[in-house]
Amino acid sequence: MKLPIYGQSTDGREHWRSLSEREQRRAHPSEFPAGAAEAPEGFSRRGFLQVLGASVALAGLEACRPPRDTIHPYVRSPEREVVPGAALHYATAAEWGAEAVGLLVTTYEGRPTKVEGNPDHPASLGASGTFEQALLLDLYDPRRLQGFVRGGQPLAFRSTLRALSDLAASHRGDGGARLRFLVRESGSPLLADLRRRIQARYPRATFHVHESLSSDEVREGTRIAFGRPMEPRLRLEGARVILALDHDFLGLGAERLRLAREYAARRTPGPGAEMNRLYAAEAHLSTTGAVADHRIRMRSSEVLSFARAVAHRLAEKHGLAALAGCGQKPAVRIREAEAVADDLARVGAEALVTAGPRQPAAVHAVAAAVNAALGSAGRTVEYRPAPPGPTGPASLRALADAVGAGQVDTLVVTARNPVYAAPADVGLGELLARVPNSLYLALREDETSQRCSFVLAASHPFESWGDARAADGQVTICQPLLSPLFESISEVELLASFLDEGDRGGHRVLQDLWRSRSAAPDFDVRWERWLARGLVPDTAVAPEVPAVRAGEVAAAARSAPAPREGLEASFVADPKLLDGRFAENAWMQELPDPITKMTWDNAALLSPATAKRLGLESGQRVELRLRGRKVEAPLWIAPGHADDTVTLPLGYGRTVAGPTGTHVGFDAGRLRAAEAPWIDGGLALAPVGRRKHAFACTQEHFSMEGRDLALTFDRGDLAGEKHRLDELRGPLPSLLGQVDYQGQMKWGMAIDLTRCIGCSACTIACQAENNIPVVGKEQVARSREMHWIRVDRYFSGDPENPEVVAQPLACVQCERAPCEYVCPVNATVHSDEGLNEMIYNRCVGTRYCSNNCPYKVRRFNFFEYHRPKSATEKMLMNPDVTVRSRGVMEKCTYCVQRIERHRIAARIAGQEIRDGQIQTACQQACPSQAIRFGNLNDPGAQVTAWHGDERRYDLLHELGTRPRTAYLVRVRNPNPELAHG
Amino acid sequence: MSALFRRRANFVFRLVLLAVAVAGAGVLGGLMIYARVPAGNRQFEEVVQPVQFDHRHHVADDAIDCRYCHQGVERGASAGIPSTALCMNCHAQIWNKSPKLEPVRESYFTGKPIPWVRVHQVPDFVYFNHAIHVNKGVGCETCHGRVDKMGAVYQFAPLTMGWCIDCHRDPAPNLRPQEAITAMGWTPDRPGLGQELHEKYKVHSRTSCTTCHR
Repeated sequence: MKLPIYGQSTDGREHWRSLSEREQRRAHPSEFPAGAAEAPEGFSRRGFLQVLGASVALAGLEACRPPRDTIHPYVRSPEREVVPGAALHYATAAEWGAEAVGLLVTTYEGRPTKVEGNPDHPASLGASGTFEQALLLDLYDPRRLQGFVRGGQPLAFRSTLRALSDLAASHRGDGGARLRFLVRESGSPLLADLRRRIQARYPRATFHVHESLSSDEVREGTRIAFGRPMEPRLRLEGARVILALDHDFLGLGAERLRLAREYAARRTPGPGAEMNRLYAAEAHLSTTGAVADHRIRMRSSEVLSFARAVAHRLAEKHGLAALAGCGQKPAVRIREAEAVADDLARVGAEALVTAGPRQPAAVHAVAAAVNAALGSAGRTVEYRPAPPGPTGPASLRALADAVGAGQVDTLVVTARNPVYAAPADVGLGELLARVPNSLYLALREDETSQRCSFVLAASHPFESWGDARAADGQVTICQPLLSPLFESISEVELLASFLDEGDRGGHRVLQDLWRSRSAAPDFDVRWERWLARGLVPDTAVAPEVPAVRAGEVAAAARSAPAPREGLEASFVADPKLLDGRFAENAWMQELPDPITKMTWDNAALLSPATAKRLGLESGQRVELRLRGRKVEAPLWIAPGHADDTVTLPLGYGRTVAGPTGTHVGFDAGRLRAAEAPWIDGGLALAPVGRRKHAFACTQEHFSMEGRDLALTFDRGDLAGEKHRLDELRGPLPSLLGQVDYQGQMKWGMAIDLTRCIGCSACTIACQAENNIPVVGKEQVARSREMHWIRVDRYFSGDPENPEVVAQPLACVQCERAPCEYVCPVNATVHSDEGLNEMIYNRCVGTRYCSNNCPYKVRRFNFFEYHRPKSATEKMLMNPDVTVRSRGVMEKCTYCVQRIERHRIAARIAGQEIRDGQIQTACQQACPSQAIRFGNLNDPGAQVTAWHGDERRYDLLHELGTRPRTAYLVRVRNPNPELAHG
Repeated sequence: MSALFRRRANFVFRLVLLAVAVAGAGVLGGLMIYARVPAGNRQFEEVVQPVQFDHRHHVADDAIDCRYCHQGVERGASAGIPSTALCMNCHAQIWNKSPKLEPVRESYFTGKPIPWVRVHQVPDFVYFNHAIHVNKGVGCETCHGRVDKMGAVYQFAPLTMGWCIDCHRDPAPNLRPQEAITAMGWTPDRPGLGQELHEKYKVHSRTSCTTCHR
């Protein structure tokens, strides 16, 4: 039998996970990082807490009989019956910018423990991403702000309300001329209504809106194209050819979950099904670029000329005369631009050109013009009117000018940490000190709260009433899942206090608005129905197909300023922390970056060629200089990065956060200028010192001895490669007896690598569902991260522009599990249904099982990672899953707690478990539906279909472990005109 | 030079070695036995509760069904302890001046729950579900004993894993019809009834570890 080894890859491609691995491929790579088996040296703060936790646990041995617990029943049972231990689900929504994602939150006895997507909501369709999941950890953070502080003096809730109304009254005289608000961007009808009413009461008051990931350029671009700002909404179900111009639509934004679903739905190769084709033009590898069939590598400032080149070809060759004005003959990447244009023209109205919010308005205008010319406007992209006014740096600039001129007495800030998010040249931090009354509503202490005179603790969105709008306009009423854990006030209540209507509470304010909008006499019945479903019916906004003003687009394209000379700085929202709002969220900090696989850090990313030219290495610390400002950062050489440009992820280097997020990474925002917040030129790099930066990067952890595991084929080659796949599936001769699993459940999973976009939603969903601890940077560096499902990312081909494939990997539940043979205490055994069970209470921590696991999916609690938790942190734990302590091995169980829950419910009801009824946490979260789970003995089950698919293969098939998780090879759909090489 | 140790020393040394081994095994074995006898697993130990609640009176004299108070038993993992308001359903009318019920009234009027002391406690890594057992014909009495004869409730069953597994391997002798699920002192009226119910209720008692440990 042939064992696939390095250099003899099964899919004919050479896979590697990092540049150093690629170079040292011949040398045998070590399985574990250095120091993986050693205890941490010295006592760090985190380490001390862990050891302390362990000694407390050991001290408990003194009594052989546990003390008797007490049970505290309700004094009066709640209105709706709560059965202890039974889960209830409530619909609500999370807002990213002006758009919402509908959620269903699981609660036990009134405490939320898990976030899922709302299947009825248009932006979620049942899926949830990393950000939505992570909201829950913020809710229970014991270091959230509590109470209200004015000028260093704590205030009670009543006194706070009185202080607010006094403050409001003091501005009545001059109509609020010296009153300003800095609010976050939101699509909430309630917040809009409050703003309108405040504006009516204080006609001279000014509202500034801020969102650090703003859509200003999109709106300006559509204003150029259509005459008024519009919000484009992509619809990929009808798109056959997609050109993403620096647009990470699968990785960022409220619509990413729906777009991933629609994108993946058209990725099934097979007779009669046409796969879509995605081109991505971008500088640094994004989630979207990683799944693209063709990734056209270019500096961010070159995207405009590429878009114009495509338009030029469409006008010249394909007779779309409307694009003649904005097109321009290209000097570089001629072949790519022509191939893309030809492909777009081939499918006509089923094409889509989309541009990312970082790109200047001219790119958006050109994209809108191309879509209109191809006839795809209204089909693959629809437009709705956008709210007026800037939300980005321009908005902060206007506020800063007013404060600098001494025009502001009272500033009410509900925007998220504007001092940190503001570009460096706005200088908002220093200016805030000049405002006599600066009010700040904050969830946690941060850079802004330090500079404000009146700081109010904000209720978490899961603790407050509100409403939110999806991108198509549909409204969700956000209901609180629990009363505020700490003394706090919600955004709605704070703004309402400026209306002098007394303390009415968020619920009354919200209900009054919707009662006034709904003429129906049975409002209360409807209200309950809206809450239950998570959507208010008939609130969608109809899309429009506005006419394009070709002349304006052409003028904008031609007059776009040339990029500044020199090395380019490209600022991006971090795929985990976004603009820093998740910096204090330990789940997000420890989640490996989808591409670099970096945890607890950010780095200045640059291409191998540029690093070579500048004589720089990965891990080297450099001083970045831009427009006279400087910041020190470590370098990371990123395969696939564009040359002569450096990508700087935002959101790190927080100076005032909590113990999790303070001083993690470097703050790229300190280099940003308000006039060029995303793409700037003239960056200088100067090496600092010789010490290499220590990254905690997981990309080489849990090596499976270099075997090729994530297989990729081009669509055309698939039929010819069947024999290779046949070697990786089917029965193998064995000395061991066959276990008969017939006549009962036979759980299995299948993961389609063609659908997987590598977003890591599964990892966080699993972490939340299974009470998986966070271990910290030093432990991750020793390969001790605890994620049960990891997403391996393999590169293949040219390191300057590699192909990327992501492979989620959890325990594959081998039928002949190597771990089971070596456990001396029977702590891991097989169930009658074929699950490889892990029995924590039996485990004595020999780690033999992990050594013998060929897939490296077992995780060991080297320390008491669940250190003594505060009362609120304990509330987060899923009551259905044991919290593991030190010295215990753990791993994926196919969410056996969900299986048992549904089994019990079905058996009590006398029913069979239906296919699709049990979803594992990773499967439920997955936006692209790349994971299927079910009973392999059910011939009609979805998972059985994938197990029988022609693309199916087994990982490490030759070992004869008979894994229950099957993989489906990744199929790419490249354009033959842009063939490899 | 004479030997440092006499020949007897070898014998004594072996005796000591043996004694250490026996003592070690004895301690281990003793602990294992301790966990399985009433002194260790708290079987039959009457528990003092904050309210002198008497099941004999409520179950035997008043014939109140178990499910009137333990409402979660058919639907949830835990049977549940009744809310104070449920006690007051009756005791607002009867015995409403009794000093023994003072803690109940205090709880009702102050809103502070009554801290009942847990009698049946399985370890945190054991996920026992009342609903599935009750719905498949395991009566209250089977595990909790003659509660109608308990002044203060005590743990009737050993609640050891061996005891659980014994029934999971052969549940038929412990099954009873749904009508008699809460009955006390019920006995099968004919041999073979357990086996009939086993088929009728489609009892599928599993012994895989994850049935209880997750």
